Amino acid sequence: MLKRFAGWTLSAPATTLVVVFLVLPVAATITATFIEPAGIIAPYQAFFSSGFRRTVLWRTLEISLITTIISVAVGFLTAYVVARSPGRIKSLLIIAAVFPLLTGVVVRSFAWLIILGRNGILNNFLIGMGITDEPFSMLYTQGSVIVAMVYLFVPLMVLTLVGVLENIPDDVVQAAASLGASPAATFRQVIFPLAVPGLIVGAVLVFTGSFTAYATPQLLGGESQMVMGTLMYQRAMVAFDWVSASTIAAIMVVVTVAVVLFMTRAARRLNPMAT
Amino acid sequence: MPNRLHPALIGFAVLVYLFLMGPLVIVFGAALSDTTFLTFPPQGLTLRWFERIFEIGAFRRTIVTSVEIAFLATALALLIGIPAAYALNRYRIQLPAWLSTLFVLPILVPEIVLGFSLLRLVAVGQSAPIFLTLLIGHTLIVLPYCVRVISASLASFDFSIEEAAISLGSRPIKTFFTIVLPNVRSGVIAAFILAFITSINDVSVSLFLTGPGISTLPIQILAHVEQFFDPVIASVSVLLMLLTVAVMAIVERTLGLTFLAK
Amino acid sequence: MTHPLAVEHLTAHYGTTKVLDDLSLSVGAGELVSLLGASGCGKTTTLRLIAGFLEPTAGTITLGGEDLTRLPAYKRHIGLVFQNYALFPHLSVLDNVAFGLKQRGIATAERNKRARAMLERVGLDQLADRLPGALSGGQKQRVALARALVIEPPLLMFDEPLSNLDAKLRVDMRVEIRQLQRANNTTAVYVTHDQEEAFSISDRVAIMHQGRIMQLDTPEVLYQRPANAFVARFVGFENLIPMKVTARDGDDVTAQAPGGVALALPKARFGDIPDDFVLAARADGLAVTADPDAKGLPATLGLRTYLGRAYQYQCETEAGPLIANGPLSSPLELGSVARLVPVPDQCCVLRVE
Repeated sequence: MLKRFAGWTLSAPATTLVVVFLVLPVAATITATFIEPAGIIAPYQAFFSSGFRRTVLWRTLEISLITTIISVAVGFLTAYVVARSPGRIKSLLIIAAVFPLLTGVVVRSFAWLIILGRNGILNNFLIGMGITDEPFSMLYTQGSVIVAMVYLFVPLMVLTLVGVLENIPDDVVQAAASLGASPAATFRQVIFPLAVPGLIVGAVLVFTGSFTAYATPQLLGGESQMVMGTLMYQRAMVAFDWVSASTIAAIMVVVTVAVVLFMTRAARRLNPMAT
Repeated sequence: MPNRLHPALIGFAVLVYLFLMGPLVIVFGAALSDTTFLTFPPQGLTLRWFERIFEIGAFRRTIVTSVEIAFLATALALLIGIPAAYALNRYRIQLPAWLSTLFVLPILVPEIVLGFSLLRLVAVGQSAPIFLTLLIGHTLIVLPYCVRVISASLASFDFSIEEAAISLGSRPIKTFFTIVLPNVRSGVIAAFILAFITSINDVSVSLFLTGPGISTLPIQILAHVEQFFDPVIASVSVLLMLLTVAVMAIVERTLGLTFLAK
Repeated sequence: MTHPLAVEHLTAHYGTTKVLDDLSLSVGAGELVSLLGASGCGKTTTLRLIAGFLEPTAGTITLGGEDLTRLPAYKRHIGLVFQNYALFPHLSVLDNVAFGLKQRGIATAERNKRARAMLERVGLDQLADRLPGALSGGQKQRVALARALVIEPPLLMFDEPLSNLDAKLRVDMRVEIRQLQRANNTTAVYVTHDQEEAFSISDRVAIMHQGRIMQLDTPEVLYQRPANAFVARFVGFENLIPMKVTARDGDDVTAQAPGGVALALPKARFGDIPDDFVLAARADGLAVTADPDAKGLPATLGLRTYLGRAYQYQCETEAGPLIANGPLSSPLELGSVARLVPVPDQCCVLRVE
């Protein structure tokens, strides 16, 4: 009797939850920034007229971009090795990538505190080797944030790309060889072009993840390397300036959505398998 | 195979894996150090930092809260996610394409924005209890995993089996539980595990939805690190890693570890 | 450019399992030899060894006198047509065909010209700019063929190239493959599990089983004079009857079948007949007759099925269950007693193994 609506009925609870508790609240947060008494774009003027906040936005973009480039490059080369490894070694390598991925962001960021701290392993090692007398302050720098972010995202990248590379049929690679393509030529002319859509998807994950990160920049960047996530928390929970926090939230959503839309469209255009 | 990997490439991969494993080994070692500060390699070996976790009330309470929230959120997300995934596959033609996108939104929208919005609109706006708001937030962020993983196993499910059961006289609801669900069992297990671990480890949504008396373990760790730099944090981290190991062992037992490779 | 292929004493293992056992095979210049057998018989392994995707544990592969055994796949210049076509999904049809020429450093204009000419030969010149995803199965197979042929390989190999096509297209394509191979006079190895396909397309066929060649011969010889019981069963000799020679006189040999019946076999058809042998017969090779005096095996008839040109009977005999055909004019009932008379043209003699 209700067959026509069965699909809607069954998905109704989940749909309701997402609409009521995600779409509406997030939309409300964003609209709130446009109905300020001071004028419809006043919060954004305030944001962009502050040199400090501009720096934070710029720093976040920079960190995200560098993290993405390093993670994609490292992830792709590693995934290539994993995908070409023999059966048992391959599953071992995959498990070794899954383990950090399932271990939380806090734990994995915290590990770098132990390594990079003033009394950390790296400094102890450098002093022990006689390379330096005074410990370097490596923590709370852009570098420390990037290292930890790369650490965060490389496993994700490896696992995504192993999947992509394994989807390239063996016989296509063999066809290239039978037509005289050397391993290097096969990599350049066949494997890499076929992996590009996957690379883009992975890059989107890393970029948006880095751009909206909180825990890692908080632990390893602190006050001196404030990024959008930590700035938003500070505005909302320390300064109790919710308009300003909402503005940051809106910028995050816009950047994320823009990157996702642009890149997925690019990935679709470049994906020959889609046709 | 005649097409061998270049040794330099293999060397690079080995370095990457050292980079991936090293920090976790270091955390493990630091947790065992018989010092009041974090150091590696451990100086002296002790398990007292593990005991210390449970002597600190905040850790005891947040561990309980985290586990409660993770279980409840996962159960809720499965409860509403399984019918949704089923509908998306079974009634594909009558449902619009954007519906499946809707269920991915919680991954697409920055979590920190979601957390803040829930704080503004639900916890403060509607004066909802903070525990309830936290639960809603966690249910939202684990829902995409449930819907997508179960959808993926339903995608390879042959719905004519279900029709066969119904033609043999089984009622539709009963058919779902006796025919459909057993066939996507591995998907449900995988979804449960992914959802649970995602919830336990979450920072960004919980960040705004904690208050006096209610907090989650990762938030408590962040707070603790700001004040103390003792091995207790390393030992809590080891506990969380052991949880990961346990989860992977469960996956191995039930689905085989190759499942993780997908 | 055409060269003979010689495979000598080839042995290969997957891990510790031996999948190919001391296999030797020679294919003359311009000849097409099929490797025919069920899955797991080693036919694809042989092809992959020749192509260089697997390494043999022993043996050599030479093409036109050049030893290929240790040469990497991409230096062998063997044209290969894959079961799933293996087209490059990101390259246009033209670029797919030109790929091999590009690897040989041929300039863009020249390689596009040659690729286009080859596409014309397979009738796909209008589709040159499409991506493979937009082609039908038959079109993909033609592109794969063009791609393998355009590099003018001294050896062309096919790995079950038609198994993903529908029946009608399969017949058309195999004629087309044969014509192109003949026209270029290219040495070719063709792997298939389809007997009709192998017999129709090949100069010679190697029937393979458990990593060995059971018989390598022309389709005619294989079909009429299989060398052993395996090949006999493979080409449709359903009935294998153990026999003993009792007398040799003049043009005939008299032999006794189980149950004591004596049958006369003409020497002219069977040549030398050993004392103990197996008479192999297709269903058509045992004529069912109700005549109790006919010189044949006594049988009790079981289930009868209608074949259109004859009736087929499941028979119980002293030699075990047999399958035989009887004329449409006189259908016999289930349970009746009849005689099965060997038809010399549809039978052959096998050594006892």
